[in-house]
Amino acid sequence: MLRFTLRRLALSLVTLLILIFVVFMMTWLTPGDTARRLAGPFAPQERVDALNEQLGLQDPFFVQFWNLLVSVVTLDFGESFSSPGVLVVDLVQPALWNSGKLVLLALVLTLPISIIAGVIAARKKDTVVDRSIVTFGLASASIPEFVSGVILQYVIGVRLGWLPAISDVPEGTSLFGEIEYLLLPALAIVAVYFGYIARITRAGTISALDSDYTRTAYMKGLSTTRVMRRHVLRNSLQPTVAVTGTQIGYLFGGLVGLEIVFNYPGLGRLIFRAATTPDFPLLQAGVITVAVIFMLCTLGADLIIAWMNPRARMNLGNE
Amino acid sequence: MDWKRLDSARRNAGPLEVDLIEAYAQKKIRRRDFVKRGTILGLSMPFMGAVIAACGGDDDEGSTGTDAPEGTTGTTAAGGGGGGAAGGSIVVGIQQGDSSTGLDPVNMLDLGTYNVIAQSFEYLVGLGPDGNIAPTALAQQWSPNEAGDVWTFDLRPGVTWQDGSEFTSADVAATMDRLVEVGNAGLDGVIGAGSVDASDPAKAVFTLEEPNGNFPVLVSLFNTQSAITPADYSNGTTLDARPEGTGAWILDSFDASTFSARFRRNPDWWGGQTPLDTTELRGFADIGTAVTAMQSRDIDAIQQFSVIGGEGLLNDGGFTLLTPPSSAHRQVWFNINNPEFESKAVRQALAWSLDRSQMVDTLFAGRAEIGNDHPILSSLPFYDPDAVEQRTRDIDRAKALMAEAGVDSLDVTLQTGDLQDIPDLAAIIQQNAAEAGFNITVNTQSNSTFYEAGWCPELYGVESSDPVALPCESSFTFGIVDYGHRPTPDVFLGSALATGGVWNSSNYSNPEFDARLSDYRQSVDVAGQTEAIGAIQQILWEDVPAVYPYFFNYLSGHDESVSDMQSTALGHTILSQATKA
Repeated sequence: MLRFTLRRLALSLVTLLILIFVVFMMTWLTPGDTARRLAGPFAPQERVDALNEQLGLQDPFFVQFWNLLVSVVTLDFGESFSSPGVLVVDLVQPALWNSGKLVLLALVLTLPISIIAGVIAARKKDTVVDRSIVTFGLASASIPEFVSGVILQYVIGVRLGWLPAISDVPEGTSLFGEIEYLLLPALAIVAVYFGYIARITRAGTISALDSDYTRTAYMKGLSTTRVMRRHVLRNSLQPTVAVTGTQIGYLFGGLVGLEIVFNYPGLGRLIFRAATTPDFPLLQAGVITVAVIFMLCTLGADLIIAWMNPRARMNLGNE
Repeated sequence: MDWKRLDSARRNAGPLEVDLIEAYAQKKIRRRDFVKRGTILGLSMPFMGAVIAACGGDDDEGSTGTDAPEGTTGTTAAGGGGGGAAGGSIVVGIQQGDSSTGLDPVNMLDLGTYNVIAQSFEYLVGLGPDGNIAPTALAQQWSPNEAGDVWTFDLRPGVTWQDGSEFTSADVAATMDRLVEVGNAGLDGVIGAGSVDASDPAKAVFTLEEPNGNFPVLVSLFNTQSAITPADYSNGTTLDARPEGTGAWILDSFDASTFSARFRRNPDWWGGQTPLDTTELRGFADIGTAVTAMQSRDIDAIQQFSVIGGEGLLNDGGFTLLTPPSSAHRQVWFNINNPEFESKAVRQALAWSLDRSQMVDTLFAGRAEIGNDHPILSSLPFYDPDAVEQRTRDIDRAKALMAEAGVDSLDVTLQTGDLQDIPDLAAIIQQNAAEAGFNITVNTQSNSTFYEAGWCPELYGVESSDPVALPCESSFTFGIVDYGHRPTPDVFLGSALATGGVWNSSNYSNPEFDARLSDYRQSVDVAGQTEAIGAIQQILWEDVPAVYPYFFNYLSGHDESVSDMQSTALGHTILSQATKA
């Protein structure tokens, strides 16, 4: 297991290095005079030149790339271009925390509902219940989260007034109190991922139910509950874990539309703003943060799968 | 007519003021235009009231001198809303600033930033209850010399900066020098470096490059970058880096990632204690989200919204709508240096192909005024209604003009930013003009990208091939850009259409137009301005460097529990007297 973990970690670091290079190239190749855009159209040229010097935008290619690597290692991306005097890490950290809260709430709601629905659909395969779960899941998953977000916002937030229509949490709200503000965007995420995860769980469960080891377990006289818990779920949830692991990375950085709809200060909105400003240090820090989360979640999913399935652990460890 | 009182008024006035009094006495201008113009010249309200009384005060206006009918001005009267109590806080939803310059008062370019800056910083000339300029800010009165090229502003006594130091004319002089240094769009060519005599700390004496009858407007909140900053301020300093100002509110915190600013009351403000304790301006990346937040009352007020998408608010009985006077418009420019629109006939053809009524009805549900291819609003005192005929859709005429230009059909891309009504306007132009032979492809991109890529790229660092290039030499061939409200059209004409203007995306250059613009600027009486503006209307209508399809109402507002909030069509929400029930 240790060897497997170290191997996956090493692979992740290589991927991260490649990604850092890609992010750097994106910002390096961006056309236009960045300092001019930051200083504003009315700023005198002397100020633009000074800004270029100050931001290191005239440094050679490798110097700038090396500086980015140092920034990643030391977690010091310097000051934001768009907010002079404010450290990039001070912008990313609260946005990351906000995204984390939303993702956590969404997962807490999505996973139990979806897994239970997937298992029920598998056990009631080809019945009305199965068809209903699959059809509802397909329908809800086909609507982008920002669209279902707008509908929820209007119906529940504006018309019924049951929950805040936007997720700008007032200062001083307790962590528990924040749930009220996060519930609508979280439900919009649930709507998309319910169908996705339920269908994967259903497929895995059907496969596990049809397998020899399940039949053997029943023939041994084990109860259905015990068979499901110890034999079926342990195997059927592996694809679910893998998919969830990869989706968490997306949820952290890819919910731009949803965060804009609910005016939620998450990481996606911050990266979007950094990309359109442009604020290169903030953009680099934001994208690299999402990449690190993505890799950690994927690694975590692999480790959980390996823990659940000794055969997979052995295979991966011996590669 | 009370000739005795009128003569007395004449005797106490300078030559410019006498011209204005004569124009009103002879009924050449309406009362509200007299008040507007008198305010610009620095006449006091009691003085103007005396003149109006002497002239009988019996023209076609109501008695208040306001611009808009009751319930549609840019402010709510005390008690008109909720009649709120002192204390508390309100949250205003504002446009998220898309300027990469941050809260930089000198270089800011968007309505969100304008509003944040104006909470702490003030202008020489402020806002009156009717939405026009008034001596409600740092200058308590002003007056021109006889020629109109020297303007003296008497500064308000007892004003201090938020750090406790005294506000003086040296601050005004330093601010103006900074604006000259960066080529401020409103003051470019109007004043030069060192134009302010600050020898008397209580007076700021401006010597202009040439006479200008509208100068106070150019140092008012309608030239948003002219906010007065301390003498030792430097270009590029931001409000959050140095929380400062003379205004009613002190910046407590600013979250750049969400563009949200929190303010607390300035206990030493010269205007007295604000009723509210604190305010918050909360940034919204999407105007639709701000409308939703207003509908659900997650915010108390909204800086601006559009008719499209704002129907919920317009039909909301608990929402108080504010429509401050507005000359905000869209300019559909032709880069006449490019072969597609080199021919005047082709430009005229496109202008005749457009159904402006459809635009006003579809995009604004009638809350807009049809334009006639010049940026002069019909309510301005010097507007000439007889200068040119109103363009309406005439496809036969458009086709004839295309034939005259020898063009069967024209393939061209219309470039726009993704801002409010603009993408929909582009779609209407595309459909309307197709019948006249224009094959238009619409390309919509983010507003900030649009500005940088092709409105006036040279402003954003694109190097020109020509050392003496026009500021917008490489603008897109065909595009739509937004212009916010200005009480006088100086910026619309000088920056956007005059030869070498910093925002001249049409690259228009006509010596006759420039001469007439100079005449207008130098005219200090309404008759002279009307003559010059009439000629300008004709020139622009004929040359069509740009199409001006409409002037639209600026929509703002707040919950009924809020009262005495004032807004301008340039993004300001003035909260110094606001209360919340």
